[in-house]
Amino acid sequence: MSKVEPTLERLIFNLNTLAELGEEITSPKAFPRIIKSSLYMVMGSFLASKGAIFRYDQAKRIIYPIASKGFGDIKELTIKLSEEVVKEFVRSNNPVKMIDNEQAVKMLGPARAELEKLGTRVIAPLVVKDELLGFITINEKFSKDEYTNYDYQLLSIMAQHIAFSIYNHSLLLKLVHKYNENRRLYDELRCSYYDTIHAFAAAIDAKDAYTKGHSHRVSAYCAAMAREMGWSEDEIEGIRIAGLLHDIGKIAIDKSIINKASPLTKNECRELNSHPVIGYEILSKIKFPWNGIPRVTRSHHERLDGNGYPDRLKKDDIPMGARIMALADAFDAMTTDRPYRPRLSFVEAVEEVKENFGRQFDPHVVRWFFSVIRKEILGDVEHPSIIPLLQERLDRVTINRILKDIP
Amino acid sequence: MKGKVNIKEFNDHVILYPDNYINDIEGDKLDYMCDYLLKKGIKKFVIDFSGTELINSIGISILIGIIEKVKRHKGVVLFSGLRKVNQNIFNIVGLTKYVPIYRTEREAVDELRGNSVAMK
Repeated sequence: MSKVEPTLERLIFNLNTLAELGEEITSPKAFPRIIKSSLYMVMGSFLASKGAIFRYDQAKRIIYPIASKGFGDIKELTIKLSEEVVKEFVRSNNPVKMIDNEQAVKMLGPARAELEKLGTRVIAPLVVKDELLGFITINEKFSKDEYTNYDYQLLSIMAQHIAFSIYNHSLLLKLVHKYNENRRLYDELRCSYYDTIHAFAAAIDAKDAYTKGHSHRVSAYCAAMAREMGWSEDEIEGIRIAGLLHDIGKIAIDKSIINKASPLTKNECRELNSHPVIGYEILSKIKFPWNGIPRVTRSHHERLDGNGYPDRLKKDDIPMGARIMALADAFDAMTTDRPYRPRLSFVEAVEEVKENFGRQFDPHVVRWFFSVIRKEILGDVEHPSIIPLLQERLDRVTINRILKDIP
Repeated sequence: MKGKVNIKEFNDHVILYPDNYINDIEGDKLDYMCDYLLKKGIKKFVIDFSGTELINSIGISILIGIIEKVKRHKGVVLFSGLRKVNQNIFNIVGLTKYVPIYRTEREAVDELRGNSVAMK
């Protein structure tokens, strides 16, 4: 190892290179580019015509190139490292001369032959927190000069910089991996959560022979209206869930009352009308990721004129979600068969909504509802969710005629 | 790789004009351009740095690669138009010992045409 001292100019140049290396490894560039530039800086500093940066794979106990210059294509190259080699490099954490060096023979074992095939003259381990991350290897200098003590010191500092860059990148990869894993778990949980809610909705609807699929349709109508009204995806999801659960209180109502074809007695009516409060009681105990589901459930039979139940709320006192649901619920009840009457046609249902415009239903909500229906018929909605659920086919001429005088 | 390295091509030699700053990408373009020209049979190269503000260690490593490659093909590389700062850097790293440097592109080309220059 030569002991030639560098000139002042050379020291300044190297200092500048170290500053640039620091800048490079903290830059927002893609990792492979940072590593490649870093290698070029190392090679340029020592006038080395060939060199590589290897990454150590702890699981496979191999090193493989992540950047190289001067060798052609060595992407597929892998070199096995024994546990002892890894330990030895972590312990010494200094560049090692490859030629005429007993230490290198001892330290590298069989890996030495592979590196010698590449013409490696110096190998510098990349170590952070006692973990081997890889190596920098450089071949002989273009000038054929020996590597000096000073060169080894400089390479050691450069290796520390590069090691931190690799360490940070591997931390980032671990973070991304964790994030993806959590995301997958979250998606799985969400699926099972939805499955549970759908099962609930099916159980609710099963109580009434006539209302099969009612909760799903109400849910779909609510979501379509909310989307049309510009709600966020999260808010839409909330009202979709509320739609599925809005009749959950009916679980506690006697089946004979729900399915009764003849008019209900006063007591029966009182019992049936208690389902929003029962639903509220049930849902209030559940911690939903969305706000307002219990309130919407409680208030979905309120009317704008204050003649609804259970709280006889008026206008803006009724949550917007409940006003949306009131229309979706009533509209589905109108357009499906019930024990006490056959379903209304779409035209008849629209007429009934118009009659109750501003009294039972919020005029803004009605306008949004018909706006989305019109768009679905005109083919302006990518995934229509209301029209496919209606039991009749509608055309644009009919819809324009029916909806033209919506105030 | 399709680079944007400016180039003047003559019968038996070329003049290459690297960018303002030779980073890894610009350097690789220069490198690929040399590969392409060597495959075409060109063996005499002038690299004119009059448009290059600063050459750092990345640039040095790229240039060493090019010099080695041309040398393997028994060709010649001359540098010209170096700013003082870049000439100092070449002196510091010792590159001036291996490549003749000319003040202008014209002087370098004249030397090539006179055929009196050989790779040092």
